[in-house]
Amino acid sequence: MVRQKQPPKIDGSTKPMVEVKDVYKAFGDKPILKGVTFNVYPGEILGLVGKSGCGKSTMLKILCGLLEPDSGLIRMHSDEVGLVFQGSALLNSYTVKENLAIALRRRKLNRKEQDRIISEKLELVGLRGFEDKYPSQLSGGQQKRTSFARAIVNDPKIIFYDEPTTGLDPVISTVIEDYMNELEDRLNAASIVVTHQLSTWTRTADRVLLMHDGRIEWEGTPDEALISSNPYIQQFAYAKREGPLLDSTI
Amino acid sequence: MWVMVSSVRSRNSIFRPIDIMVEQFGKACQLLGQCLILLFHTLKYIIRGEIDWRETWRQSYKIGVESCIVVSLTALFTGFAMSLQISRELVLFGADTAIGGVVSLALVREIGPITAGIMVAGRVGSSVAAELTTMMITEQIDALKVMRVDPVQFLVVPRFVAAMLMMPALTVYAMALGLIAGIFIAYTAANVPAATFLDSVKQTILDRDFGTHFLKAWTNAVLIIVISCAIGLRTRGGAEDVGIATTRTIVWTMTMLFVCNYIITAVTYAPR
Repeated sequence: MVRQKQPPKIDGSTKPMVEVKDVYKAFGDKPILKGVTFNVYPGEILGLVGKSGCGKSTMLKILCGLLEPDSGLIRMHSDEVGLVFQGSALLNSYTVKENLAIALRRRKLNRKEQDRIISEKLELVGLRGFEDKYPSQLSGGQQKRTSFARAIVNDPKIIFYDEPTTGLDPVISTVIEDYMNELEDRLNAASIVVTHQLSTWTRTADRVLLMHDGRIEWEGTPDEALISSNPYIQQFAYAKREGPLLDSTI
Repeated sequence: MWVMVSSVRSRNSIFRPIDIMVEQFGKACQLLGQCLILLFHTLKYIIRGEIDWRETWRQSYKIGVESCIVVSLTALFTGFAMSLQISRELVLFGADTAIGGVVSLALVREIGPITAGIMVAGRVGSSVAAELTTMMITEQIDALKVMRVDPVQFLVVPRFVAAMLMMPALTVYAMALGLIAGIFIAYTAANVPAATFLDSVKQTILDRDFGTHFLKAWTNAVLIIVISCAIGLRTRGGAEDVGIATTRTIVWTMTMLFVCNYIITAVTYAPR
């Protein structure tokens, strides 16, 4: 059940690709993040998990530059960032090929080179031949794969996944999870996957951070998560009703 | 960043007209600020020449060509009604040879720009606001930002340039159709030949009338695109907010069209 591939070798000399230190964020007078600190290393997939409203999506938006933190430090050691959105977020009035071309605009490539890159990325996600289709003509899984292709079209060194398998059937979820692992092997990128799907973080993540109430409550590997005695991760991993995760709200 | 969300007004505020007026004034000021900032960014890209001409061409088709039918119908029937009223009154005073001049003056100075402006505001303004709001809600705008594509450059600039190109064409088209309607009515209702009608037009219309005509057309284009994009790019929420944003766009655009139309008329034709 747990991810088959070998986790990346990280030792004291490995430099993190993403550094997050003491990040605070509040919306109005409601604190969302209360001092979040973690690092992500090249070739590593970090699972950011937690129940809805714990602050993981806010953290992801801050990392992507869509929100500003109130305080704290974020250091990204690459400009090339890809994000796979929960709802795919493909531009509806553009074809699959045009959606990928938008991500390539700033590189000012010639048409031939642009077409070659787009074909290569679509081939990678099994969507060769879908270039001229509009998002509305694709299934949910195909839209998600197009979103993948768009996120990796510039060969990013940092990839973020926002709930990549939410709303998909278990079979397509497995396909998407396999793509995530395959992309990781090819690009050696530092990835963060925000999810609460058990199969996704157990099959893809090398390391898991459990967020609760704006803080990191537990950290470890997916294997450790399943056998841990920590009440937070135990409740989350086994979807128990009783436990500390619901104390503050119910 | 200031974000517009649908507000649920409490029951008590219905009985507080002053509060409502203050709230609406505050919203109007916020919208004005957003529009000015958006206009500044849009002009910055245009001055730098960073215009996506392919997308501008596509938007020109949507704004100009696809608006032709509605503009034709409104211009034609406004021309019919106005010419009928004017012909009826002028015939009573024996001034039927002046019908062409009066009709063309109204068409060039007021009816042409305002008819095209209202129809484009209703058709294009609402569609732009709904499209951009939907793009905000479905994270498409966020996707652009993550790809380091500025939504203003990608979405607003092509629409702005397209509207600036197409609005004068539509207003001239509306004016021409209004004149055709005028010629038809003048001939059928007042027995004025087309040559007499056109001769009156030539004697009445001045070059500066066309200047005012185009100034109004470009002002309308700026108002429609900037207001609809400012509202669309600042709205968050759900499906209900798409409807609210569209309604806001129509109300504000129409209101500003009439206000600016009056200001331009007052400035250019005020008695000295």
